[in-house]
Amino acid sequence: MKERPFNLVAAVSLCAIVTTAQAQGTDPLGVGRRMLTEDNPGELWIDKGKQLFHEKRGPKNASLEQCDFGVGPGKLEGASAQLPRYFPDTDKVQDLESRLLTCMVELQGFKREDVVKRAISPGGSSGSDMEALALYITSRSNGMKMNVSLGHQKEYDMYKAGEYLFFRRAGQTDFACVQCHGEANKRIRLQDLIHMTSKKGVQEVVSTWPAYRGAHYVVRTMQWRLYDCFWQMRLPELKYASDTSIALTTYLHYQGNGAVIKVPGFKR
Amino acid sequence: MQKAWLKWTLLGVPALIAAGCATAPDEATTRQIAEKMVREDFTAPAPALLKRLEQDRSQQICSKIAGAKLTQEEAAEVVKLARASIKYPASGKLVGDWKIGDKLAHDGAGDRIQGGRLEKRKQNGGLCQNCHGLAPGEINVGNVGPSLTGYGVQRGNSEAIAKLTYERIYNAWAYAPCSNMPRLGATGHLTPEQITHMVAYLIDPQSPINKR
Ligand code: HEC
Ligand code: HEC
Repeated sequence: MKERPFNLVAAVSLCAIVTTAQAQGTDPLGVGRRMLTEDNPGELWIDKGKQLFHEKRGPKNASLEQCDFGVGPGKLEGASAQLPRYFPDTDKVQDLESRLLTCMVELQGFKREDVVKRAISPGGSSGSDMEALALYITSRSNGMKMNVSLGHQKEYDMYKAGEYLFFRRAGQTDFACVQCHGEANKRIRLQDLIHMTSKKGVQEVVSTWPAYRGAHYVVRTMQWRLYDCFWQMRLPELKYASDTSIALTTYLHYQGNGAVIKVPGFKR
Repeated sequence: MQKAWLKWTLLGVPALIAAGCATAPDEATTRQIAEKMVREDFTAPAPALLKRLEQDRSQQICSKIAGAKLTQEEAAEVVKLARASIKYPASGKLVGDWKIGDKLAHDGAGDRIQGGRLEKRKQNGGLCQNCHGLAPGEINVGNVGPSLTGYGVQRGNSEAIAKLTYERIYNAWAYAPCSNMPRLGATGHLTPEQITHMVAYLIDPQSPINKR
């Protein structure tokens, strides 16, 4: 961790205490409660992710059990409900997928490029390790409420950057996110566009990813979703786990605080 | 817990905490942080394609955050820039072939970038179906924009209407500054000739849009 003034560190840890206290105020039945989504084929990915999480893998022959998602090494309950968040070891705000990437590289010794190359699987395949892991870890917060904090300055900066990017128009279609997600009951052809500047809409989004995507027969993650929207916007390709993706995710997740997580979602 | 509070109080930390532990960065800082991300976080098969991420003046004005309103001066500037952008086809004819326009209106492809490749086509699709109701009874249409069903029936097909329609498609912001409609001609997504076919599709009495 980089050197920082003592009182700042103290302030950050106090913020963490406050945040944890809030987290404990979530639905007491939530922890460990399995949501019944029986017809969702995405359920199959949860077991795959669980296996991958505990298996010793990679050049360092290590499991992910020492990976810290912000609530302690190997602790998964409620972890994704608080993501993205600031991590002192990387000195970065990270979402679930970029944090997984860090652990797969640092703990397991995988090459970053290799993981990134495979992170988004081809449609109709059996899916990527990343997709299964992201779903498994998020599923361990099922029944809990989104509770993202902006206590650290870098979190606040990330959030504001995400907000800025949500409204930033560019390219030959003059699109920003808000052109398609800023009003209720809108459609692109027959595809419903979620109204993300409303609390209800954004809560639906942040509580249902990773999701089983019927059209692709695989589980998809938020990184994929954002990549795909930039593709539709005819902008260049969004880099996997980039700050732009994390900023947009921070913006959406914070707006969606209070939503009860229920994954895998089921999408068209 | 109380002891800890006391210690922090002495260290003068409460000021930070009272402000929610972190403070909102000002607009300039946010812009700087976010624009750096945009410069670093995308790839394209050719460097020239990264230029798509850069905003022109109108896009900058039209990127108001969370419901902030355009000022009158800003709206006027967007309209002025839009008017200046409009180019007419070399032939001078603003009304093309509605059959070609019909196809184009239902074509949403072209110019997307995926897997390190640019989607190359002879011409881009018009994208209209994504956002507008078109011929009566067509179900697979979007509603981001107003329905165009019966467009010509209501307005006729005079020269003035042809010109207005051409301009609205070429650069929607000449009439509705910062609207959700892309400036399809001005950004180069469609050519002037393609737009003349769209005009025909909208105003020709034979076009399916104007049938019952
Ligand atoms: C041209 C229209 C368009 C633009 C612009 C656009 N999106 Fe989307 N977005 C869509 C469509 C279409 C879907 C998928 C709807 C479906 O599959 O049913 C979608 C889905 C999503 C979802 C998933 C919603 C859910 O089902 O939970 C998220 C999150 C999202 N978009 C975020 C963004 C962000 C962030 C941006 C800007 C960077 C953006 N979108 C820009 C059209 C757009
Ligand atoms: C991403 C959405 C979108 C796309 C794509 C789009 N439009 Fe629009 N269109 C709008 C919106 C929103 C409006 C209303 C605001 C305005 O006039 O700019 C509009 C308005 C219009 C109007 C003016 C309607 C009136 O009542 O005077 C015309 C004509 C029009 N569009 C034609 C087209 C044609 C033709 C295409 C395709 C070549 C197209 N649009 C593509 C969103 C879109």
